[in-house]
Amino acid sequence: MHNMVLLGAICVLVGFLGSLTGLGGASIITPLLVLSGIPVKEAIASAMVAIIATSSGSAASYVKARLANVRIAMFLEMFTITGAIAGATITTFISPVLLYFFFAAFLCTSFLRIHHIRRGFIPSEKQDRVSRWLNLQGSYYDEAAGETITYRANHALWGGGGMFIAGIAAGMLGIGAGAFKVTVHENILHLPPKVSSTTSNFIIGMTALAAVSVYLFSGLLNLTLMAPIAAGTTIGALFGGRVLNKINDRILQVLFLFIVVYLIVTMLYKGIISL
Amino acid sequence: MKLPQKPEDKSKLENSISYLLISGVLLSLTLLITGMVLLWQKQGNVAISQDPAVYVHGHDFFSFIYQEVTNGGLNGLPLQLITLGVVVLLLTPYVRVILSTVYFARERNLKYVFITIIVLIILTISLTLH
Repeated sequence: MHNMVLLGAICVLVGFLGSLTGLGGASIITPLLVLSGIPVKEAIASAMVAIIATSSGSAASYVKARLANVRIAMFLEMFTITGAIAGATITTFISPVLLYFFFAAFLCTSFLRIHHIRRGFIPSEKQDRVSRWLNLQGSYYDEAAGETITYRANHALWGGGGMFIAGIAAGMLGIGAGAFKVTVHENILHLPPKVSSTTSNFIIGMTALAAVSVYLFSGLLNLTLMAPIAAGTTIGALFGGRVLNKINDRILQVLFLFIVVYLIVTMLYKGIISL
Repeated sequence: MKLPQKPEDKSKLENSISYLLISGVLLSLTLLITGMVLLWQKQGNVAISQDPAVYVHGHDFFSFIYQEVTNGGLNGLPLQLITLGVVVLLLTPYVRVILSTVYFARERNLKYVFITIIVLIILTISLTLH
């Protein structure tokens, strides 16, 4: 993959998948870059740029369609950015080999959502005081289901704690930690699947920006690597943002799990061979 | 005392954010693609380079942008355009937070003014760290 055109083309697909699943795409592109011989820290740094591109490219559509909840996102960003700074600082002290295993272990948390796929989304009856006080609720029109879905967030502060941990992982691993964020949104805050993934998508751009400044000036950012990654993922995310609402929730959730399995396998493989 | 959000107010913030994001990514995309095409014409190939000139260096985010805008042409136009494309891409979410803060301030929604200002402060601190 030492060719900008080829890398850009692959990144169109990465941006498309990343925007649909709320994963951002960095966790897809990092293993690919590492496998093609780019040093792991350089790959992580460039992947941060992919996250920002995927986030902004798809959020333009998600926010307009009311899929991503801006208020919930703003509240959670406070926690996740703080975590991202902490994580990005830690990563300069520890060995990259450990990162692979941490990455794989972290992604396993995504399987916490499996039961949701069978059960489908059930709106929360209750709402805690903090969520109510912050007006953390909303509704959107689901094009695939042909109905308006109304929802209320619950357990705002626990959700904030989860987002802080997600931020640490994001900063350390150079991922948006979208997989963990989506899990927090669904399982703790009780948001519908599409709101969970699109709000995660909206937030990860911010998390990545907070962490990217640490890499920006450590001499790890290669312009000829970043340009095709950023351009490709932006194009893919613009497409993803337009089609997400037309796709059935379950298909998106299964797609999400397939990508996560792929990521766990690649990171474990890379970790084991570099021991 | 707690008034429900008026739908038209809500749509204003969401629509502004949406337009901001789409303008940011399209401008960035144009700069990146133009830069890559010029780079291809200049060096005759599309290889990912390891030349020290293609690595970004600087003090912090804001001084880097200032430096780029004032004398970024040192490494030639193609790399300058790519750098500008990356800068626009990075600035887009930052401007999004400023826009949201201004919006909530105009709405006198104090809870969210507080939240967005905190996000803006932490983000600004993180961008000046190195």
